[in-house]
Amino acid sequence: MQSVNPKPGTQVSVATTPLQVRGRSFTAVVLRMAGPPDAGFFEALDTLMRQAPHFFVNAPLVLDVEHAADLGEKAEFVKLVHQLRARKLFAVGIQGATPEQGNAAFGAGLITLQGGREASLERGAARAAPAELKAVTSVEPAATLLITEPVRSGQRIFADRGDLIVMAPVSSGAELIAHGNIHIYGPLRGRALAGVNGDRTARIFCQNLEAELIAIAGLYRTSDDLGPALRQTRIQAFLKDDTLCVEPLK
Amino acid sequence: MAKIIVVTSGKGGVGKTTSTAAIGAGLAMRGKKTVVIDFDVGLRNLDMIMGCERRVVFDFINVIQGDAKIKQALITDRRLENLSILPTSQTRDKDALTKEGVEKVLNELREQFDYIICDSPAGIERGAHLAMYYADEAVVVTNPEVSSVRDSDRVLGLLSAKTNRAEKGEGEVKSHLLLTRYDPARVARGEMMKVDDILEILSIPLLGIIPESTAVLKASNVGTPVTFDTKSNAGKAYEDAVSRLIGEQLEMKIQPERQGLFQRLLRRTA
Ligand SMILES: Nc1ncnc2c1ncn2[C@@H]1O[C@H](COP(=O)(O)OP(=O)(O)OP(=O)(O)O)[C@@H](O)[C@H]1O
Ligand SMILES: [Mg+2]
Repeated sequence: MQSVNPKPGTQVSVATTPLQVRGRSFTAVVLRMAGPPDAGFFEALDTLMRQAPHFFVNAPLVLDVEHAADLGEKAEFVKLVHQLRARKLFAVGIQGATPEQGNAAFGAGLITLQGGREASLERGAARAAPAELKAVTSVEPAATLLITEPVRSGQRIFADRGDLIVMAPVSSGAELIAHGNIHIYGPLRGRALAGVNGDRTARIFCQNLEAELIAIAGLYRTSDDLGPALRQTRIQAFLKDDTLCVEPLK
Repeated sequence: MAKIIVVTSGKGGVGKTTSTAAIGAGLAMRGKKTVVIDFDVGLRNLDMIMGCERRVVFDFINVIQGDAKIKQALITDRRLENLSILPTSQTRDKDALTKEGVEKVLNELREQFDYIICDSPAGIERGAHLAMYYADEAVVVTNPEVSSVRDSDRVLGLLSAKTNRAEKGEGEVKSHLLLTRYDPARVARGEMMKVDDILEILSIPLLGIIPESTAVLKASNVGTPVTFDTKSNAGKAYEDAVSRLIGEQLEMKIQPERQGLFQRLLRRTA
Protein backbone atom coordinates (compact mmCIF):
# COMPACT_ATOMS: atom_id res chain seq x y z
CA MET A 1 0.00 0.00 0.00
CA GLN A 2 2.74 2.40 0.87
CA SER A 3 5.13 1.99 -1.95
CA VAL A 4 4.87 2.41 -5.68
CA ASN A 5 8.35 1.16 -6.35
CA PRO A 6 8.36 -2.10 -8.27
CA LYS A 7 10.66 -4.73 -6.86
CA PRO A 8 14.03 -4.92 -8.55
CA GLY A 9 13.97 -7.68 -11.08
CA THR A 10 10.32 -7.44 -12.01
CA GLN A 11 11.33 -6.12 -15.39
CA VAL A 12 13.37 -9.16 -16.35
CA SER A 13 12.59 -9.95 -19.91
CA VAL A 14 12.31 -13.31 -21.61
CA ALA A 15 13.30 -11.84 -24.95
CA THR A 16 16.76 -12.41 -26.31
CA THR A 17 17.78 -8.74 -26.23
CA PRO A 18 20.30 -8.07 -23.46
CA LEU A 19 18.43 -5.05 -22.15
CA GLN A 20 15.21 -3.15 -22.36
CA VAL A 21 14.64 0.53 -21.91
CA ARG A 22 11.47 1.69 -20.28
CA GLY A 23 10.28 5.14 -19.28
CA ARG A 24 8.88 5.14 -15.79
CA SER A 25 8.00 7.80 -13.31
CA PHE A 26 8.52 7.56 -9.60
CA THR A 27 7.54 9.88 -6.86
CA ALA A 28 10.44 11.56 -5.10
CA VAL A 29 10.44 13.49 -1.89
CA VAL A 30 11.77 17.00 -2.28
CA LEU A 31 13.62 18.40 0.70
CA ARG A 32 13.67 22.15 0.46
CA MET A 33 16.71 23.48 2.25
CA ALA A 34 16.17 26.83 3.88
CA GLY A 35 19.91 27.36 4.31
CA PRO A 36 23.20 25.48 4.59
CA PRO A 37 23.20 21.93 6.04
CA ASP A 38 24.31 23.00 9.50
CA ALA A 39 23.50 21.55 12.92
CA GLY A 40 20.11 23.28 12.92
CA PHE A 41 19.20 21.67 9.62
CA PHE A 42 19.99 18.18 10.84
CA GLU A 43 18.24 18.78 14.14
CA ALA A 44 15.04 19.74 12.31
CA LEU A 45 15.44 16.81 9.95
CA ASP A 46 15.87 14.35 12.83
CA THR A 47 12.80 15.72 14.57
CA LEU A 48 10.81 15.34 11.38
CA MET A 49 12.01 11.77 10.94
CA ARG A 50 11.05 10.89 14.48
CA GLN A 51 7.56 12.24 13.84
CA ALA A 52 7.15 10.60 10.49
CA PRO A 53 9.37 7.52 10.57
CA HIS A 54 7.80 5.86 7.55
CA PHE A 55 7.62 8.88 5.39
CA PHE A 56 11.07 8.60 3.88
CA VAL A 57 11.37 4.83 3.67
CA ASN A 58 12.63 3.86 0.23
CA ALA A 59 11.82 7.26 -1.18
CA PRO A 60 14.28 8.82 -3.58
CA LEU A 61 15.22 12.19 -2.17
CA VAL A 62 15.73 15.38 -4.16
CA LEU A 63 17.40 18.35 -2.51
CA ASP A 64 16.05 21.75 -3.43
CA VAL A 65 19.02 24.08 -3.06
CA GLU A 66 17.42 27.22 -4.41
CA HIS A 67 17.69 28.85 -0.98
CA ALA A 68 21.01 27.30 -0.08
CA ALA A 69 23.14 29.44 -2.36
CA ASP A 70 26.37 29.07 -0.38
CA LEU A 71 26.35 25.31 -0.74
CA GLY A 72 28.75 25.11 -3.66
CA GLU A 73 31.74 22.82 -3.09
CA LYS A 74 31.89 19.22 -4.21
CA ALA A 75 33.22 18.25 -0.77
CA GLU A 76 30.21 19.82 0.89
CA PHE A 77 27.84 17.80 -1.28
CA VAL A 78 29.78 14.60 -0.62
CA LYS A 79 29.57 15.23 3.12
CA LEU A 80 25.86 16.00 2.94
CA VAL A 81 25.14 12.83 0.99
CA HIS A 82 26.98 10.82 3.63
CA GLN A 83 25.19 12.49 6.48
CA LEU A 84 21.86 11.76 4.83
CA ARG A 85 22.82 8.19 4.08
CA ALA A 86 23.68 7.71 7.74
CA ARG A 87 19.98 8.42 8.34
CA LYS A 88 18.93 5.96 5.63
CA LEU A 89 18.00 8.83 3.35
CA PHE A 90 19.08 8.43 -0.24
CA ALA A 91 19.63 11.59 -2.19
CA VAL A 92 19.51 11.09 -5.93
CA GLY A 93 19.63 14.63 -7.23
CA ILE A 94 19.23 18.34 -6.70
CA GLN A 95 16.91 20.95 -8.08
CA GLY A 96 16.85 24.74 -8.15
CA ALA A 97 20.64 24.66 -8.61
CA THR A 98 22.98 27.14 -10.27
CA PRO A 99 25.25 25.62 -12.94
CA GLU A 100 28.16 25.73 -10.44
CA GLN A 101 26.13 23.91 -7.83
CA GLY A 102 25.09 21.42 -10.49
CA ASN A 103 28.73 20.65 -11.31
CA ALA A 104 29.74 20.33 -7.69
CA ALA A 105 26.77 18.05 -6.94
CA PHE A 106 27.55 15.94 -9.98
CA GLY A 107 30.93 15.21 -8.40
CA ALA A 108 29.05 13.86 -5.38
CA GLY A 109 26.94 11.57 -7.59
CA LEU A 110 23.87 13.80 -7.67
CA ILE A 111 22.10 14.64 -10.90
CA THR A 112 20.49 17.98 -11.60
CA LEU A 113 16.75 17.73 -12.06
CA GLN A 114 14.52 20.29 -13.66
CA GLY A 115 10.85 21.02 -13.89
CA GLY A 116 9.64 18.51 -11.34
CA ARG A 117 5.88 18.48 -11.07
CA GLU A 118 4.02 18.47 -7.81
CA ALA A 119 3.04 14.83 -7.60
CA SER A 120 -0.12 14.59 -9.63
CA LEU A 121 -3.44 13.98 -7.96
CA GLU A 122 -4.10 10.80 -9.87
CA ARG A 123 -1.23 8.76 -8.63
CA GLY A 124 -1.45 6.04 -6.06
CA ALA A 125 0.91 6.14 -3.17
CA ALA A 126 0.17 7.88 0.04
CA ARG A 127 3.43 9.73 0.14
CA ALA A 128 2.89 11.37 -3.19
CA ALA A 129 0.84 14.19 -1.79
CA PRO A 130 3.40 16.29 0.06
CA ALA A 131 5.71 16.63 -2.90
CA GLU A 132 7.77 18.96 -0.86
CA LEU A 133 8.30 19.43 2.80
CA LYS A 134 7.59 23.03 3.43
CA ALA A 135 8.91 23.35 6.93
CA VAL A 136 12.09 21.53 7.52
CA THR A 137 13.47 24.03 9.95
CA SER A 138 10.37 24.48 12.08
CA VAL A 139 8.29 21.45 12.90
CA GLU A 140 4.67 22.41 13.31
CA PRO A 141 2.30 20.81 15.77
CA ALA A 142 -0.48 18.46 14.68
CA ALA A 143 -3.41 20.22 13.10
CA THR A 144 -6.85 19.11 11.99
CA LEU A 145 -7.95 19.75 8.45
CA LEU A 146 -11.63 20.59 7.97
CA ILE A 147 -13.26 20.23 4.56
CA THR A 148 -16.81 21.50 4.01
CA GLU A 149 -17.11 21.22 0.21
CA PRO A 150 -17.83 17.97 -1.66
CA VAL A 151 -14.66 16.03 -2.49
CA ARG A 152 -15.00 15.18 -6.17
CA SER A 153 -13.78 12.29 -8.24
CA GLY A 154 -10.07 12.72 -8.96
CA GLN A 155 -9.48 15.02 -6.00
CA ARG A 156 -7.20 14.10 -3.15
CA ILE A 157 -7.28 15.67 0.28
CA PHE A 158 -4.21 15.16 2.43
CA ALA A 159 -4.12 15.99 6.11
CA ASP A 160 -0.39 15.86 6.62
CA ARG A 161 -0.39 17.00 10.22
CA GLY A 162 -3.23 15.22 11.91
CA ASP A 163 -6.91 14.43 11.56
CA LEU A 164 -9.14 15.02 8.57
CA ILE A 165 -12.80 15.96 8.95
CA VAL A 166 -15.03 16.07 5.88
CA MET A 167 -18.54 17.47 6.21
CA ALA A 168 -19.68 16.72 2.66
CA PRO A 169 -19.99 13.79 0.27
CA VAL A 170 -16.80 12.07 -0.91
CA SER A 171 -17.29 10.87 -4.47
CA SER A 172 -16.15 7.60 -5.86
CA GLY A 173 -12.71 8.19 -7.35
CA ALA A 174 -11.84 10.73 -4.63
CA GLU A 175 -9.22 10.05 -1.98
CA LEU A 176 -8.86 11.12 1.64
CA ILE A 177 -5.50 10.67 3.31
CA ALA A 178 -4.53 11.57 6.85
CA HIS A 179 -1.71 10.99 9.25
CA GLY A 180 -4.35 10.80 11.97
CA ASN A 181 -8.03 9.87 12.08
CA ILE A 182 -10.57 10.51 9.33
CA HIS A 183 -14.14 11.58 10.07
CA ILE A 184 -16.70 11.78 7.28
CA TYR A 185 -20.12 13.34 7.93
CA GLY A 186 -21.58 12.39 4.59
CA PRO A 187 -21.48 9.43 2.24
CA LEU A 188 -18.00 8.02 1.66
CA ARG A 189 -17.97 6.64 -1.87
CA GLY A 190 -14.25 7.03 -2.57
CA ARG A 191 -11.20 5.96 -0.57
CA ALA A 192 -10.09 6.85 2.92
CA LEU A 193 -6.59 6.11 4.20
CA ALA A 194 -5.93 6.95 7.84
CA GLY A 195 -2.69 6.66 9.78
CA VAL A 196 -0.67 6.67 6.61
CA ASN A 197 2.48 7.32 8.60
CA GLY A 198 2.16 3.98 10.27
CA ASP A 199 -0.04 5.13 13.14
CA ARG A 200 -1.91 1.93 14.00
CA THR A 201 -4.17 3.67 16.50
CA ALA A 202 -5.77 5.86 13.82
CA ARG A 203 -9.46 5.30 13.07
CA ILE A 204 -11.97 6.05 10.38
CA PHE A 205 -15.46 7.23 11.30
CA CYS A 206 -18.06 7.46 8.61
CA GLN A 207 -21.72 8.40 8.43
CA ASN A 208 -22.58 6.37 5.35
CA LEU A 209 -20.22 3.72 4.10
CA GLU A 210 -20.13 3.14 0.36
CA ALA A 211 -16.35 3.25 0.15
CA GLU A 212 -14.21 1.81 -2.58
CA LEU A 213 -11.41 1.30 -0.11
CA ILE A 214 -10.55 2.06 3.48
CA ALA A 215 -7.11 1.66 5.01
CA ILE A 216 -5.39 2.20 8.30
CA ALA A 217 -1.60 2.21 8.53
CA GLY A 218 -1.43 0.51 5.15
CA LEU A 219 -3.84 -2.35 5.95
CA TYR A 220 -6.82 -2.07 3.67
CA ARG A 221 -10.17 -3.50 2.70
CA THR A 222 -11.96 -2.86 -0.57
CA SER A 223 -15.68 -2.59 -1.20
CA ASP A 224 -15.68 -6.22 -2.27
CA ASP A 225 -14.50 -7.53 1.05
CA LEU A 226 -16.38 -4.98 3.13
CA GLY A 227 -19.53 -6.96 2.35
CA PRO A 228 -23.10 -5.78 1.87
CA ALA A 229 -24.14 -5.84 5.53
CA LEU A 230 -22.40 -2.57 6.41
CA ARG A 231 -23.21 -0.76 3.17
CA GLN A 232 -24.76 2.64 3.70
CA THR A 233 -24.48 2.40 7.47
CA ARG A 234 -22.62 4.38 10.13
CA ILE A 235 -19.34 2.68 10.91
CA GLN A 236 -15.98 2.99 12.54
CA ALA A 237 -12.88 1.21 11.35
CA PHE A 238 -9.83 0.43 13.47
CA LEU A 239 -6.94 -1.98 13.71
CA LYS A 240 -7.02 -4.91 16.10
CA ASP A 241 -3.84 -6.95 15.98
CA ASP A 242 -3.29 -7.20 12.25
CA THR A 243 -6.91 -7.02 11.19
CA LEU A 244 -8.80 -4.04 9.91
CA CYS A 245 -12.10 -4.18 11.79
CA VAL A 246 -15.22 -2.39 10.61
CA GLU A 247 -18.04 -2.09 13.11
CA PRO A 248 -21.39 -0.35 13.15
CA LEU A 249 -21.48 2.89 15.13
CA LYS A 250 -24.42 3.10 17.44
CA MET B 1 -20.79 43.03 -19.10
CA ALA B 2 -21.47 39.55 -20.37
CA LYS B 3 -21.79 36.47 -18.25
CA ILE B 4 -19.45 33.69 -19.40
CA ILE B 5 -20.96 30.21 -19.28
CA VAL B 6 -19.01 27.06 -20.12
CA VAL B 7 -20.81 23.97 -21.36
CA THR B 8 -18.68 21.06 -20.24
CA SER B 9 -18.86 17.37 -19.30
CA GLY B 10 -15.57 15.49 -19.22
CA LYS B 11 -17.10 12.60 -21.13
CA GLY B 12 -17.43 12.93 -24.89
CA GLY B 13 -20.56 12.73 -26.98
CA VAL B 14 -22.98 13.54 -24.19
CA GLY B 15 -24.54 16.57 -25.93
CA LYS B 16 -22.34 19.59 -25.15
CA THR B 17 -22.38 21.05 -28.64
CA THR B 18 -26.10 20.35 -29.05
CA SER B 19 -26.72 22.08 -25.70
CA THR B 20 -24.46 25.04 -26.49
CA ALA B 21 -26.36 25.72 -29.71
CA ALA B 22 -29.74 25.20 -28.06
CA ILE B 23 -29.01 27.37 -25.04
CA GLY B 24 -27.40 30.07 -27.19
CA ALA B 25 -30.44 30.16 -29.45
CA GLY B 26 -32.81 30.11 -26.48
CA LEU B 27 -31.10 33.10 -24.88
CA ALA B 28 -31.11 35.00 -28.17
CA MET B 29 -34.82 34.27 -28.65
CA ARG B 30 -35.39 36.03 -25.34
CA GLY B 31 -33.63 39.11 -26.60
CA LYS B 32 -30.27 38.48 -24.95
CA LYS B 33 -27.26 39.33 -27.09
CA THR B 34 -25.45 36.00 -27.17
CA VAL B 35 -22.28 34.61 -28.68
CA VAL B 36 -21.38 30.92 -28.77
CA ILE B 37 -17.68 30.01 -29.00
CA ASP B 38 -16.31 26.70 -30.23
CA PHE B 39 -13.37 25.61 -28.05
CA ASP B 40 -13.18 22.20 -29.69
CA VAL B 41 -10.21 23.10 -31.88
CA GLY B 42 -9.60 20.63 -34.66
CA LEU B 43 -13.13 19.22 -34.77
CA ARG B 44 -15.41 22.16 -35.50
CA ASN B 45 -18.91 20.91 -34.80
CA LEU B 46 -20.65 23.98 -33.48
CA ASP B 47 -20.78 25.85 -36.79
CA MET B 48 -22.31 22.79 -38.43
CA ILE B 49 -25.01 22.42 -35.84
CA MET B 50 -25.66 26.16 -36.15
CA GLY B 51 -25.82 25.80 -39.93
CA CYS B 52 -23.15 28.35 -40.77
CA GLU B 53 -20.16 26.19 -41.70
CA ARG B 54 -20.08 27.59 -45.22
CA ARG B 55 -19.85 31.17 -43.98
CA VAL B 56 -16.63 30.70 -41.97
CA VAL B 57 -13.75 32.83 -43.19
CA PHE B 58 -11.76 33.64 -40.07
CA ASP B 59 -11.88 31.76 -36.78
CA PHE B 60 -11.15 31.91 -33.04
CA ILE B 61 -7.53 30.86 -33.56
CA ASN B 62 -6.97 33.57 -36.20
CA VAL B 63 -8.22 36.12 -33.68
CA ILE B 64 -6.05 34.76 -30.87
CA GLN B 65 -2.99 34.90 -33.09
CA GLY B 66 -3.77 38.41 -34.26
CA ASP B 67 -4.42 37.43 -37.87
CA ALA B 68 -7.99 38.71 -37.82
CA LYS B 69 -10.18 41.06 -35.81
CA ILE B 70 -13.04 39.65 -33.76
CA LYS B 71 -15.50 41.47 -35.99
CA GLN B 72 -14.18 39.61 -39.02
CA ALA B 73 -14.51 36.22 -37.35
CA LEU B 74 -17.94 36.61 -35.72
CA ILE B 75 -20.78 35.19 -37.79
CA THR B 76 -24.27 36.52 -37.15
CA ASP B 77 -27.05 33.95 -37.26
CA ARG B 78 -29.36 34.32 -40.27
CA ARG B 79 -32.46 33.72 -38.20
CA LEU B 80 -31.66 35.67 -35.06
CA GLU B 81 -29.65 38.86 -35.19
CA ASN B 82 -28.97 38.58 -31.45
CA LEU B 83 -27.05 35.37 -31.95
CA SER B 84 -23.42 35.19 -33.06
CA ILE B 85 -20.96 32.38 -33.36
CA LEU B 86 -17.20 32.40 -33.10
CA PRO B 87 -16.17 29.25 -34.97
CA THR B 88 -12.93 27.41 -34.43
CA SER B 89 -10.27 26.11 -36.75
CA GLN B 90 -10.26 22.59 -38.10
CA THR B 91 -6.67 22.65 -39.23
CA ARG B 92 -5.02 23.64 -35.97
CA ASP B 93 -4.75 21.82 -32.68
CA LYS B 94 -5.46 22.74 -29.09
CA ASP B 95 -1.96 24.11 -28.54
CA ALA B 96 -2.97 27.12 -30.60
CA LEU B 97 -5.16 28.18 -27.65
CA THR B 98 -3.37 30.19 -25.00
CA LYS B 99 -4.63 31.51 -21.69
CA GLU B 100 -3.70 35.08 -22.58
CA GLY B 101 -5.25 34.79 -26.04
CA VAL B 102 -8.50 33.40 -24.68
CA GLU B 103 -8.65 36.08 -22.01
CA LYS B 104 -8.13 38.85 -24.54
CA VAL B 105 -10.87 37.59 -26.83
CA LEU B 106 -13.30 37.06 -23.95
CA ASN B 107 -12.64 40.53 -22.56
CA GLU B 108 -13.42 42.08 -25.91
CA LEU B 109 -16.60 40.01 -26.31
CA ARG B 110 -17.73 40.85 -22.78
CA GLU B 111 -18.28 44.45 -23.85
CA GLN B 112 -20.57 43.56 -26.73
CA PHE B 113 -22.70 40.68 -25.45
CA ASP B 114 -24.96 39.67 -22.57
CA TYR B 115 -23.99 36.00 -22.68
CA ILE B 116 -20.88 34.18 -23.87
CA ILE B 117 -21.41 30.42 -24.15
CA CYS B 118 -18.26 28.32 -24.48
CA ASP B 119 -18.59 24.86 -26.05
CA SER B 120 -15.91 22.77 -24.36
CA PRO B 121 -14.18 19.81 -25.96
CA ALA B 122 -14.45 16.48 -24.16
CA GLY B 123 -11.79 15.44 -21.68
CA ILE B 124 -10.05 17.37 -18.95
CA GLU B 125 -6.96 18.44 -20.86
CA ARG B 126 -5.83 21.80 -22.16
CA GLY B 127 -8.82 22.58 -24.41
CA ALA B 128 -11.38 21.75 -21.75
CA HIS B 129 -9.36 23.58 -19.12
CA LEU B 130 -9.16 26.77 -21.16
CA ALA B 131 -12.87 26.59 -22.02
CA MET B 132 -13.76 26.61 -18.33
CA TYR B 133 -10.96 28.82 -17.06
CA TYR B 134 -12.67 32.22 -17.33
CA ALA B 135 -16.24 30.99 -16.76
CA ASP B 136 -18.64 32.65 -14.34
CA GLU B 137 -21.05 29.74 -14.52
CA ALA B 138 -20.97 26.19 -15.82
CA VAL B 139 -23.54 23.94 -17.42
CA VAL B 140 -22.39 20.40 -16.71
CA VAL B 141 -23.91 18.16 -19.35
CA THR B 142 -24.49 14.62 -18.08
CA ASN B 143 -26.14 11.48 -19.45
CA PRO B 144 -27.94 9.23 -16.97
CA GLU B 145 -25.19 6.64 -16.84
CA VAL B 146 -22.45 5.88 -14.35
CA SER B 147 -19.43 6.83 -16.44
CA SER B 148 -20.89 10.17 -17.45
CA VAL B 149 -21.84 11.01 -13.87
CA ARG B 150 -18.35 10.13 -12.71
CA ASP B 151 -16.77 12.36 -15.32
CA SER B 152 -19.09 15.22 -14.43
CA ASP B 153 -18.07 14.85 -10.82
CA ARG B 154 -14.46 15.09 -11.90
CA VAL B 155 -15.18 18.21 -13.91
CA LEU B 156 -16.97 19.79 -10.93
CA GLY B 157 -13.79 19.27 -8.95
CA LEU B 158 -11.79 21.09 -11.62
CA LEU B 159 -14.36 23.91 -11.75
CA SER B 160 -13.94 24.42 -8.03
CA ALA B 161 -10.14 24.41 -8.13
CA LYS B 162 -8.65 25.10 -11.55
CA THR B 163 -10.53 28.17 -12.75
CA ASN B 164 -9.62 31.84 -12.67
CA ARG B 165 -12.34 32.46 -10.07
CA ALA B 166 -11.06 29.69 -7.83
CA GLU B 167 -7.44 30.71 -8.17
CA LYS B 168 -8.15 34.40 -7.51
CA GLY B 169 -10.57 33.59 -4.70
CA GLU B 170 -13.40 35.39 -6.47
CA GLY B 171 -16.02 32.88 -5.44
CA GLU B 172 -17.12 29.67 -7.02
CA VAL B 173 -18.10 29.00 -10.60
CA LYS B 174 -21.85 28.49 -10.25
CA SER B 175 -22.54 25.05 -11.69
CA HIS B 176 -25.81 23.69 -13.08
CA LEU B 177 -26.61 20.12 -14.02
CA LEU B 178 -28.14 19.53 -17.43
CA LEU B 179 -29.29 15.94 -17.86
CA THR B 180 -29.45 15.03 -21.53
CA ARG B 181 -30.48 12.02 -23.59
CA TYR B 182 -32.80 11.07 -20.76
CA ASP B 183 -34.96 8.11 -21.70
CA PRO B 184 -37.75 7.52 -19.13
CA ALA B 185 -38.47 4.03 -20.46
CA ARG B 186 -34.86 2.95 -20.02
CA VAL B 187 -34.73 4.53 -16.57
CA ALA B 188 -37.86 2.57 -15.63
CA ARG B 189 -36.20 -0.62 -16.82
CA GLY B 190 -33.19 0.14 -14.66
CA GLU B 191 -30.87 0.59 -17.64
CA MET B 192 -30.24 4.24 -16.85
CA MET B 193 -29.70 6.11 -13.61
CA LYS B 194 -32.56 7.86 -11.85
CA VAL B 195 -32.57 11.65 -11.57
CA ASP B 196 -32.52 11.54 -7.78
CA ASP B 197 -29.52 9.23 -7.68
CA ILE B 198 -27.59 11.51 -10.01
CA LEU B 199 -28.47 14.60 -7.99
CA GLU B 200 -27.44 12.85 -4.81
CA ILE B 201 -23.99 12.14 -6.21
CA LEU B 202 -23.33 15.45 -7.92
CA SER B 203 -25.17 17.68 -5.43
CA ILE B 204 -25.62 20.68 -7.72
CA PRO B 205 -28.90 22.29 -8.84
CA LEU B 206 -30.72 20.80 -11.81
CA LEU B 207 -31.09 23.11 -14.79
CA GLY B 208 -33.15 20.78 -16.93
CA ILE B 209 -33.83 17.30 -18.23
CA ILE B 210 -33.54 16.94 -22.00
CA PRO B 211 -35.20 13.77 -23.24
CA GLU B 212 -33.67 11.48 -25.83
CA SER B 213 -35.34 12.76 -28.95
CA THR B 214 -35.29 12.28 -32.70
CA ALA B 215 -35.82 16.04 -32.99
CA VAL B 216 -32.17 16.57 -32.00
CA LEU B 217 -30.82 14.56 -34.90
CA LYS B 218 -33.28 16.15 -37.32
CA ALA B 219 -32.31 19.63 -36.16
CA SER B 220 -28.59 19.00 -36.44
CA ASN B 221 -29.01 17.54 -39.92
CA VAL B 222 -30.53 20.76 -41.18
CA GLY B 223 -28.21 22.96 -39.12
CA THR B 224 -30.68 24.50 -36.68
CA PRO B 225 -30.45 24.61 -32.92
CA VAL B 226 -33.21 22.31 -31.63
CA THR B 227 -34.67 25.19 -29.61
CA PHE B 228 -36.13 26.56 -32.87
CA ASP B 229 -38.25 23.42 -33.07
CA THR B 230 -40.60 24.78 -30.42
CA LYS B 231 -43.03 21.91 -30.79
CA SER B 232 -40.49 19.17 -30.09
CA ASN B 233 -40.05 17.80 -26.58
CA ALA B 234 -36.32 18.46 -26.64
CA GLY B 235 -36.85 22.02 -27.88
CA LYS B 236 -39.31 22.68 -25.06
CA ALA B 237 -36.99 21.16 -22.49
CA TYR B 238 -34.13 23.41 -23.63
CA GLU B 239 -36.45 26.42 -23.48
CA ASP B 240 -37.27 25.57 -19.86
CA ALA B 241 -33.59 25.15 -19.09
CA VAL B 242 -32.86 28.58 -20.55
CA SER B 243 -35.61 30.10 -18.40
CA ARG B 244 -34.00 28.64 -15.31
CA LEU B 245 -30.56 29.79 -16.44
CA ILE B 246 -31.74 33.41 -16.46
CA GLY B 247 -33.28 32.95 -13.05
CA GLU B 248 -36.92 32.05 -13.62
CA GLN B 249 -38.53 29.49 -11.35
CA LEU B 250 -40.12 26.67 -13.32
CA GLU B 251 -41.49 23.33 -12.31
CA MET B 252 -39.23 20.47 -13.42
CA LYS B 253 -40.97 18.09 -15.74
CA ILE B 254 -39.85 15.48 -18.19
CA GLN B 255 -41.22 16.41 -21.59
CA PRO B 256 -43.01 13.43 -23.14
CA GLU B 257 -42.25 12.37 -26.69
CA ARG B 258 -44.85 13.92 -28.95
CA GLN B 259 -46.93 11.19 -30.45
CA GLY B 260 -47.88 11.05 -34.10
CA LEU B 261 -51.47 11.01 -35.25
CA PHE B 262 -51.30 7.31 -35.83
CA GLN B 263 -50.19 6.56 -32.31
CA ARG B 264 -52.89 8.78 -30.87
CA LEU B 265 -55.56 7.05 -32.88
CA LEU B 266 -54.28 3.68 -31.87
CA ARG B 267 -54.30 4.57 -28.25
CA ARG B 268 -57.81 5.92 -28.39
CA THR B 269 -59.24 2.76 -29.86
CA ALA B 270 -57.19 0.42 -27.74
N1 LIG C 1 -31.33 14.78 -26.44
C1 LIG C 1 -30.79 14.06 -27.43
N2 LIG C 1 -31.51 13.12 -28.07
C2 LIG C 1 -30.97 12.38 -29.06
N3 LIG C 1 -29.72 12.53 -29.53
C3 LIG C 1 -28.95 13.47 -28.94
C4 LIG C 1 -29.44 14.27 -27.86
N4 LIG C 1 -28.45 15.10 -27.48
C5 LIG C 1 -27.38 14.84 -28.27
N5 LIG C 1 -27.67 13.85 -29.16
C6 LIG C 1 -26.80 13.27 -30.18
O1 LIG C 1 -25.64 12.81 -29.56
C7 LIG C 1 -24.49 13.01 -30.39
C8 LIG C 1 -23.43 13.82 -29.65
O2 LIG C 1 -23.93 15.11 -29.39
P1 LIG C 1 -22.98 16.37 -29.30
O3 LIG C 1 -22.12 16.48 -30.50
O4 LIG C 1 -23.81 17.54 -28.93
O5 LIG C 1 -22.08 15.91 -28.06
P2 LIG C 1 -20.75 16.58 -27.52
O6 LIG C 1 -20.78 16.39 -26.03
O7 LIG C 1 -20.58 17.95 -28.02
O8 LIG C 1 -19.66 15.63 -28.16
P3 LIG C 1 -18.05 15.87 -28.17
O9 LIG C 1 -17.60 15.46 -26.81
O10 LIG C 1 -17.58 14.96 -29.25
O11 LIG C 1 -17.83 17.32 -28.47
C9 LIG C 1 -25.00 13.73 -31.63
O12 LIG C 1 -25.17 12.77 -32.63
C10 LIG C 1 -26.32 14.31 -31.18
O13 LIG C 1 -27.22 14.40 -32.26
MG1 LIG D 1 -18.92 18.86 -29.08
